[in-house]
Amino acid sequence: MSAPRVILHVDMDAFYASVEQRDRPELAGRPVVVGGAGGRGVVAAASYEVRRFGVHSAMPIREALRRCPQAIVVTPRFKRYREVSAQVFEVFREFTDLVEGLSLDEAFLDVTASTGLFGGGEDMAREIKKRIRERTGLTASVGVAHNKLLAKLASEMDKPDGLTVIRPEKVRATLDPLPVGRLYGIGPKTAARLEEQGIFTLGQLRAAPESVLWPVLRRETRTFQDRAAGVDERPVVSDAPEKQISSEETFDVDIRDHKEMQERLAQLADRTTERLRARQYKAGMVSIKVRRRDFETFTRQRSFNPPTQETRLIAQVAADLLDHWLAEQPRAAVRLLGVGVSDLEPEQQLDLFTTAEFREARRLDDALDRIHDRFGDTAIHRGTDR
Amino acid sequence: MPILANLLLVITDGRLAITATDLEVELVTNVNVTATKEGRITIAGRKLLDICRSLPEATTLVFSQDGDRVTVKASRSRFVLATQPAGDFPVIDELQQQQKLMISQADLRWLLDKTHFSMAQQDVRYYLNGMLLETDGKMLRTVATDGHRLALCEVELASKISGQQVIVPRKGVLEMQRLLGTEGDVQITIGSNHIRAHIGDVRFTSKLIDGRFPEYGRVIPAAPPRTVVADREALRAALQRTAILANEKYRGIRLALKKNQLTLQAHNPEQEEAEEQVEVNYRGDDLEVGFNVSYLLDAIAAIDGNEVELGVTDGNSSCLVRSPGASSNRYVVMPMRL
Repeated sequence: MSAPRVILHVDMDAFYASVEQRDRPELAGRPVVVGGAGGRGVVAAASYEVRRFGVHSAMPIREALRRCPQAIVVTPRFKRYREVSAQVFEVFREFTDLVEGLSLDEAFLDVTASTGLFGGGEDMAREIKKRIRERTGLTASVGVAHNKLLAKLASEMDKPDGLTVIRPEKVRATLDPLPVGRLYGIGPKTAARLEEQGIFTLGQLRAAPESVLWPVLRRETRTFQDRAAGVDERPVVSDAPEKQISSEETFDVDIRDHKEMQERLAQLADRTTERLRARQYKAGMVSIKVRRRDFETFTRQRSFNPPTQETRLIAQVAADLLDHWLAEQPRAAVRLLGVGVSDLEPEQQLDLFTTAEFREARRLDDALDRIHDRFGDTAIHRGTDR
Repeated sequence: MPILANLLLVITDGRLAITATDLEVELVTNVNVTATKEGRITIAGRKLLDICRSLPEATTLVFSQDGDRVTVKASRSRFVLATQPAGDFPVIDELQQQQKLMISQADLRWLLDKTHFSMAQQDVRYYLNGMLLETDGKMLRTVATDGHRLALCEVELASKISGQQVIVPRKGVLEMQRLLGTEGDVQITIGSNHIRAHIGDVRFTSKLIDGRFPEYGRVIPAAPPRTVVADREALRAALQRTAILANEKYRGIRLALKKNQLTLQAHNPEQEEAEEQVEVNYRGDDLEVGFNVSYLLDAIAAIDGNEVELGVTDGNSSCLVRSPGASSNRYVVMPMRL
């Protein structure tokens, strides 16, 4: 058995809301909800002031306002969050290359190899929190343990601005009293079925005979018992190559007008391809996502040869896909649209005609990217001739 | 269109014309027959071919039509085949706005052979999925490009013709290559929507791609500041060996130039590495540039002569590959960022 690993789980506290409160001092200490404006969006982030009212992410904004009428709803500025996130991830990479980002505000770090340089896991966690605070003014909660499972549970134990270490000898004492639903992979349904069997805590799950668990957990029985015992061998996978880049939008009011849908779709294609270019990828597959008023969701995709990063070409395929979908469902009321690209490959091979024929199209893309960077996504967008 | 699986058989003046088409390309062959009557009919091509193939060579076939059936007799064999009316068979009419030119089969084949590999495949830029055929003064030129590399080849014709650009689809190019031999001439007819080649007893017609080919002249470096001359076979073999450990998908290799020395380097995601040294004639300053090794190999295989000249500008500009000083066939390859 190799030496124990040192894994950190870093989770920014109410990330989007905290960024807003920091950028706009008038929001500091106030109940802030970040989410789609108008009555229709969902909560993307809730400040700690508003969480006291039972408001949490993924709750409809309307419900959030019912629980906390004085809440201030702020439209998300994802570009800004990505910038701040990049600063935070920069801090992570000062300690290790093994950074596995889970989202803009959350990551696993395997710092085993760095322990000599920066002290133990706890010292590094304290230093990471300090650097994040100095550079971004934000707080993070960090969990330290010898695997991902425990590190994540640890970071959740003392939010906000927490630092929790789960030492190997404390694993059982820490995990045993936790409810089974805290375990990654056990959702409310599975938890309910376990509770029917009299299994409420991780300690009970760990000690339960296989015959009791098998009907509920099936082939995962062993895995979950291991996890309940704090065993998790999953490695921290750094720089997992991105598989898809997508943008989607839930509308304040359902859209029925085809022209308006195409306009919204063109804006989403713009946003998606801007990120594609920023990451220096080309895409070989374009997909659209359409959610109807009744919440039924459709996706359509088409491969694309050769891979490209040009907005004009990708937007055209997306528009075609939507046209086809609308031909099947001409009367649909649409509440969400999305544009995604996949089959990503690094932008390595240079093109002959970007220096001649396609230069104009590329220049337009670059100009729009710059305008969006400076003035925001809504400053300018492509028209549509559909 | 099920009738496309049929062959059109037409008898006129003791000649049988057999036509096959997929609507993009059409092929007509002529053969002398003894006929009692003129007429036209279509029958299943695959079945007729299988019958002919399985009979001994030099067997005489006797066709007779009775209503909507055709009977084929050959010594002791007899086949009765279904037909469809000839009127339903799509044929390409005479070409509009023609321009005619004569060229030797060997020259035309050379033009196609030396450029076809650079055509794009199923590219959304549909006009790249074919080959540009251009007449320009006395020159007949072919150009093919997939956006990453370009091949250009030209021959001089006997007489001057008016300038014209048409794009022959990929399939038309590949079929024409198969029909061309090394002896005799071919008559080319260029219409507004089709191109037609008379090769011996065969008449081949292909649709044209309706589109504007990129201005290829702008991407061919006129006078690259750095030239590298190498033994063609030595460079080809070194590239091929280096390619073994290049990334299988992206095929990137690094070319490092120093005075009179070229170093080729490749590595793959498993961190395996290949390095080759090639003696070259190079007097410029040190330079590193990355390329898709397959593109370089295609170009080097297509040029003639014992030496190859690479004309490079920098790591972001296209590279010109040709036989030293030659202009009849030239290749342009864009670098990769490595």
